[in-house]
Amino acid sequence: MPECIELTPMDNSKSPESTQKANTMVESTLTTKSDGVPLYPGEVVCVALLKDVTYLCPYMGALTGRLVVTNYKLYFYQGTTEQYTRCIVEVPLCTISRIEKVGGVTTSSRNPDGRNPYGLEMFCKDIRVLRFVMRQENRQRKTIHDKLQELSFPASNKLPFFACLFKEEYAEDKNGWTTYSAKTEYQRLGMPIEGWRYTKHNSKYELCDTYPHLLVVPAAASDDDLKQVAQFRSRGRIPVLSWIHPESQATITRCAQPLVGISGKKSRDDERYIQLILDANPHAHKLLIFDARPQANAVANVARGGGYEKADVYTSSELFFCDIHNIHVMRESLRKLQDACLLAHPNDDKHWLSNLEQTQWLHHSKVILAAATRIADRIESGKASVLVHCSDGWDRTAQLTSLSMIMLDSYYRTLEGFMVLIEKEWLSFGHKFAQRIGHGDKNHSDSERSPVFLQFIDCVWQITQQFPTAFEFNEQFLILILDHLYSCLYGTFLYNSERERKKEDLRKKTKSLWSLVMSLRDDYLNALYVSAYQNHVLLPIAAVRHLDFWAGYYARWNPKMKMQEPIQERHKELLKIRDHLRKKVEELERQLAAKQNASSPALTIPQDAAALSV
Amino acid sequence: MEFSEFIQTPKVEDAFLEVENGTVPVTACLTGHHLILYSHNGENKEYWILHKNVDSVEKRYSVEKNLLVLKCKDFTQHQITIPTADDATNIANSIETLSSLNNPALQYPFFHRPKFTFDEDGYDLFCTEHRFASLSKMSDQWRISNINLHFSVCNSYPSQVIVPKDISNEMIVKSAKFRYGGRFPILSYLHTNGRVVMRCGQPLTGQNQKRCKEDEKLINIVLGSTHRGYILDTRTTQAALQARSKGGGFETEFNYPQWRKFHNSLQKYSIQQESFVRIVEACQDRNASSDRWQSKLESSNWLSHVKDVLSAACLVAQCVDREGASVLVHGSEGTDSTLLVTSLTQVILDPYCRTIRGFLCLIDMEWVQAGHPFADRCFHGAQSNQRTRSEGPTFTLFLDCVHQLLQQFPLSFEFSALLLIHLHRHAYASGFGTFLCNNEMERRKFKVRTKTVSLWSYLLSVNVLPMFLNPLYQTRPGVIWPSVAPQSLKLWDGLFLKDIDPSPEVQRIVSESISYMEDLQNQISELTKEISLLEREEETTSPLLQNGQNQAIDCQNSA
Repeated sequence: MPECIELTPMDNSKSPESTQKANTMVESTLTTKSDGVPLYPGEVVCVALLKDVTYLCPYMGALTGRLVVTNYKLYFYQGTTEQYTRCIVEVPLCTISRIEKVGGVTTSSRNPDGRNPYGLEMFCKDIRVLRFVMRQENRQRKTIHDKLQELSFPASNKLPFFACLFKEEYAEDKNGWTTYSAKTEYQRLGMPIEGWRYTKHNSKYELCDTYPHLLVVPAAASDDDLKQVAQFRSRGRIPVLSWIHPESQATITRCAQPLVGISGKKSRDDERYIQLILDANPHAHKLLIFDARPQANAVANVARGGGYEKADVYTSSELFFCDIHNIHVMRESLRKLQDACLLAHPNDDKHWLSNLEQTQWLHHSKVILAAATRIADRIESGKASVLVHCSDGWDRTAQLTSLSMIMLDSYYRTLEGFMVLIEKEWLSFGHKFAQRIGHGDKNHSDSERSPVFLQFIDCVWQITQQFPTAFEFNEQFLILILDHLYSCLYGTFLYNSERERKKEDLRKKTKSLWSLVMSLRDDYLNALYVSAYQNHVLLPIAAVRHLDFWAGYYARWNPKMKMQEPIQERHKELLKIRDHLRKKVEELERQLAAKQNASSPALTIPQDAAALSV
Repeated sequence: MEFSEFIQTPKVEDAFLEVENGTVPVTACLTGHHLILYSHNGENKEYWILHKNVDSVEKRYSVEKNLLVLKCKDFTQHQITIPTADDATNIANSIETLSSLNNPALQYPFFHRPKFTFDEDGYDLFCTEHRFASLSKMSDQWRISNINLHFSVCNSYPSQVIVPKDISNEMIVKSAKFRYGGRFPILSYLHTNGRVVMRCGQPLTGQNQKRCKEDEKLINIVLGSTHRGYILDTRTTQAALQARSKGGGFETEFNYPQWRKFHNSLQKYSIQQESFVRIVEACQDRNASSDRWQSKLESSNWLSHVKDVLSAACLVAQCVDREGASVLVHGSEGTDSTLLVTSLTQVILDPYCRTIRGFLCLIDMEWVQAGHPFADRCFHGAQSNQRTRSEGPTFTLFLDCVHQLLQQFPLSFEFSALLLIHLHRHAYASGFGTFLCNNEMERRKFKVRTKTVSLWSYLLSVNVLPMFLNPLYQTRPGVIWPSVAPQSLKLWDGLFLKDIDPSPEVQRIVSESISYMEDLQNQISELTKEISLLEREEETTSPLLQNGQNQAIDCQNSA
């Protein structure tokens, strides 16, 4: 989604070839064009303002062009003929969180330069702020504004998501909905494993409506036990298996907080159940419980009926608080980061670093990474089993379990594995994507919104920076995920839980983001990936000094921040040449072998090329 | 003088060296230039710590142990436990004294006999004559002047400099008298469009605003009658005005009507040194809570120096390349900020400076021969307790700026960041003579050329060079315009935060992958050869194959 292809005078990086390349890439996924606007199958133009629209680019100043609103996106471009268009802004409508009318007589807010242009201002979930200026006559603005209000918030307006109208066809073997199957994943982890069993008790989501249909629980716990434990855990989110160490049987289990309350309730069943999790690990003497919250928050939750595992009740466990703040703190932190990124004030250049520090964003990332690293370390070197929870067990818990799983298990560092991880720890275990992102919802100030998932992806990026050769996927892949987290082009991130997604029949009605990933796999591969590191456990250094601001994501709308040279392209090119050479060698060897066979069958076949692979 | 005068405890048994995973028992030996640690844990490893590299020795004595912490100028750190406090103190004192000997003749390069073989003597590689030979293909407006052959006109310039052809030696002498330190305007860089960058010391106008017709002529002749040029004064207007009261000054519009002047605000090396000390302190302080990390980074101001220098270089590059104007650069002395700007400008404008040879040539011409006082500026590092007023991290700042460019243009540089790290280390402490002394005159006096080995000989030798190559490098013509936005400038992890720098690993992977591809390429050509050989054999034995029909072969085989 290019913001500005136009170059600043200081930038000569974009050669004509690379621009051309970018265009052809777009064309490969977009089939039709209407008046120079590329359209997806199922996408139609709803409003087009073909003149007198100006985009106030925060980095390059005013740009005049054409504004088109389709049922999927807002598209602002320049150019007159079909061959000669240049996209300036493309934003999926669902990425817009707020639309404001500005200028004219109705508002008193004025631009810093004293002018008060008449137009629209849009705040986007991908931290962009877009300002368009249009003529006051002809009620142009009203038409556009009304259309945007209608189409950007389909959920509020009882309209279908564009994902349901999107008619792209993906090859049969590239169907992303088949990427994840709970059963296959548990089998990959070694199920059936002694001490653990599958339960279908939640197949109709009766035990817990935010959990997946298939769960793995301690073998010694009966389905009745599960019911009892569910009574004592917030929203019925009982401790279940997320990951198991292939050798030591140390496990990561996840749940929600116990419902201790002011009266200090106890549950024998819950205590016994915790003991069973511990017993399933022959090496461990204590179950380590990582409560993701700061202790004060955990204590405060007692007053609201929640709580934490007290040492005198849960004698066979040890409790740690991870000090990760709640969704509201994180939302505020991102808001500050957004402000800092804009560099709106002339002095911001000088104070960029301290402004960045004040957002606390990297500090929060550090705390999360520190806790996840600690979990991974205790499992790997201490052979301990770990239970993770926060309050509800769908935000911070998912961050911690999935990050430590990435550190522990190289499978999750592959392209397929990472998709599985998101499907499993986030989607199937009920991270409330619809609420946290506010998909198609016009209530932009909803306090349920929070960048929990973004923060997770940011943390993953931090790990890739410290271990650039340990991941099969590249930065583009992470950015793609985030872009489509908001776009609602794919059904993947829609709704809050597996139950809701099943009810809405998303697999039939929408496409999966992973279909796109599988179709364009090469674009998302990391050329530096070394598969030989498979057995390595990554323990990143969780210190702010070793964390970076992810400029490639947050600052990507600033054309000055573009990667000056296409190192990704170069890597990809190298990969391609390598594969080509490999194939060529194999082919020649076959030819040679055939000829040798033909002339004298006794000759030995030359060594296999695969043996040489790096 | 004997080094042994300074060594009270030449040898200590039963010492311990802290390594990454624990401690190893060692024997410590002091020589005139090294602390040598022989390990006893079966590996028989030797650790050689060059005294000159040690920036400070911290004594941490307790009841349990007498610990010496050697903080080095390349930001490594060694912790050694010595059995007795007396020995520890002796060793600490010896290292402190030996690491700050002033006499260049006692420096390690004069005693170092490197064992590697080299084809080219680095001291002969880059000279004014070579440079002139190549630039005279582009322009006939220049000549080599030998006026400074005995360093009598300017003691910090090399013996040969390039000046405008039509300027006589007499005029040069007059101009030199008008410029600080005798640093008259000389050619620094000739761009492909014929425009040039020149550099010099500040004009000595003083309060009375003296002028020097010869100086004016010297630089005006570069412009011809029609063009206009720019003068970049690296100081602020205020600082330039103040310089007048001390006899210095700047070119006035009135006397230099063809030149447009602008001021920049590069800080003096002493201010840069303060930033350097602060940033190193912040990076080395691993125990401190990292909560205030970014503030610390920001308040060190190091990155804002980087930004200022890069911006200034971009400005000059823009004048030359975009506006087609020649530029004259100076600050006050013309040996620090001036060189930062002129050398970076060349990295931005000239693809040759982004090759390994071109880069070393640039450093040789624009830093070593240009009289950047390495001995003074790099006498102590950032962690020393005994700083002198002439110290400054100017060269390291230059390397950092190049590193920023390398980050932004990962395909345009033939060398990798590792080269920059090595250059930093050798500028401060080295077994090679390249960075010894403050200028050519001193180096001549101490016979550096004949008595030491050039760092360039080492870096360019066959076995060493591959280590510094950037595997992704592609020859790319043209100018590289860097971004100086605050989000684009990053702390140089590889230098300042050594404990976590994945770039060598990345580089290794890429090189491996590329050499694997070369293997494949070789395999392909061998296989092709074999196949064609077989084909030829078959041609002679079986003419049927020419039809390419397998069945024919089958028939023949079965027959």
